[in-house]
Amino acid sequence: MNNLEQCLKCNLCTLVCPMMEVNPDYPGPKKAGPDGERYRLKDPAFFDYALKYCLNCKRCEVACPSDVHIGDMIQAARIKYGSQAKAKGLRGLRDWTLASTDLVGSLASPFAPVVNEVLQLKPVKSVMDGMLGVDKHRTFPKYSKQKFVNWFRKQDQSGFDRFVSYFHGCYVNYNYPKLGQDLVKILNAAGYGVHLLEKEKCCGVALMSNGFAARAKKQGAVNLASIRKAAEAGEPVLTTSSTCTFTMRDEYPDVLGLQNSDVRDNIMLATKWLYEKISSGEIKLKFRKDFRMKVVYHTACHMQKMGWQLYSIELLRMIPGVTLTVLDQNCCGISGTFGFKKENYGFSQKIGSKLFEDIRTSNPEYVATDCETCKWQIEMSTGIPVLNPIEVLAEAIEL
Amino acid sequence: MRFDVIIIGGGWAGCTAAEPLVEAGKKVCIVSEGLSLSAVKYESPYARLATLQKQGAVVLRGDRAISGKIEDGKVVEIRTRNMDEPLVADEYVLATGKFFSRGLLSDKEHIWEPVFGADVVYDPDRTKWFDPDFEAPQPFMKFGVKTDAEGRVLVGGKAIVNLTAVGDICNE
Repeated sequence: MNNLEQCLKCNLCTLVCPMMEVNPDYPGPKKAGPDGERYRLKDPAFFDYALKYCLNCKRCEVACPSDVHIGDMIQAARIKYGSQAKAKGLRGLRDWTLASTDLVGSLASPFAPVVNEVLQLKPVKSVMDGMLGVDKHRTFPKYSKQKFVNWFRKQDQSGFDRFVSYFHGCYVNYNYPKLGQDLVKILNAAGYGVHLLEKEKCCGVALMSNGFAARAKKQGAVNLASIRKAAEAGEPVLTTSSTCTFTMRDEYPDVLGLQNSDVRDNIMLATKWLYEKISSGEIKLKFRKDFRMKVVYHTACHMQKMGWQLYSIELLRMIPGVTLTVLDQNCCGISGTFGFKKENYGFSQKIGSKLFEDIRTSNPEYVATDCETCKWQIEMSTGIPVLNPIEVLAEAIEL
Repeated sequence: MRFDVIIIGGGWAGCTAAEPLVEAGKKVCIVSEGLSLSAVKYESPYARLATLQKQGAVVLRGDRAISGKIEDGKVVEIRTRNMDEPLVADEYVLATGKFFSRGLLSDKEHIWEPVFGADVVYDPDRTKWFDPDFEAPQPFMKFGVKTDAEGRVLVGGKAIVNLTAVGDICNE
């Protein structure tokens, strides 16, 4: 994992780092990653607190011609040496709240209508901005009145002889059950029943980036145990979030040290699974004849790191009536909880500006992307609605 | 997944090969592991690849061609690191560059081309790989894959009919 000696110092990573472009305080991937690691191995006192600016977008790793795990190195260093840099006081409370997607979601959804209203009130926003450091420009994703899992329990999945498992993630469960519902609809229409995992926890990505790696590791172990059970039953575990998928497949072993090689191939995005089944003829879907949609596809950073954008893109291209343009891959700037923090808001919007401009000039009806935090950022910054490719597909098929 | 042409390498040579093909309406896939050093010349590092993508080319950024399957003197498919399934095309272009971009790999005695195992022209005497004068043109920079008069790559002495080498990877 720590292959710093492979670095040839070519600086191509520096060239593509979105943070480097907008923030002179960030030393850049080469210095923060392999160069800094050399020093940190000598003496942990060399740890540079500016590493907190790393978005963990992995664009450096995608650009690296020598396959150096630059982003992993930075993440690991933050976990190993940076824990004492965790924010204290109110900012610490904020980071804890932003990171605890599962717990906060469970607490908020019973009171969803009230919570949603309150979080939109100007005075509440300025208090959160001033005291907690949650930027007032941000709107929290709305909590759903009914959790996805509660909806799912009422769905009869008994009439099928083939099954897949679904890892819904926090966003689908607490905020946006529609995406999960759409996937269940598609899978059922294709002749597959859906199971949920025996136990599902947040994948832990927000915990890792806010300095709670130990908790992330605990949750990861719970998820992997359930994923193993699904694998034993011969069921692939499908997901609808590129970041959850990337975290469970690659960050678990590379950053948290959780061994997952036995089930890694079993975790995949629903778009990839569907593409493969449809193109091999195993699944036949009936498409609506009157369906028309002008879509641009935004490749989320983690999607690109996995290299799976092709599956989502080709799946969209299979849908009759879809006019698709693939945008240049640029970071949207939000990077999960990073962009919610007051001190990062400016960087976040500056980084995303290229993408927003690109979207505006394409003037689509919808933007399609596989990442929920990209969705919040793009909707807030361009006003153009964003859909997961699964939602586009669900709308295009005849049921 | 099927394409008309698969181009391995998204640097200067790969993009130059791709542009007329994409313009002619061919379905092109570009496997671009890492960014090419030639990217520093452009306003934005991914400029050429991004344009090709907008015109309909499929660009696999950060993916690496691992192996190519050759049957009866023809490439039938390649495998990449990120994709589970093989990528298939009528024509293949090898544009992976030399040592920096790992189009050519080496140890102390050998130099080889990792995707297809193409024939590589190099001096078997390792002492002749380098000129001790640092500023002199280095002999190892002339090593590269063997091609026939039409630029088709030789593997085991035989030209592969649907595999063309372009750019730095060629032997001078």
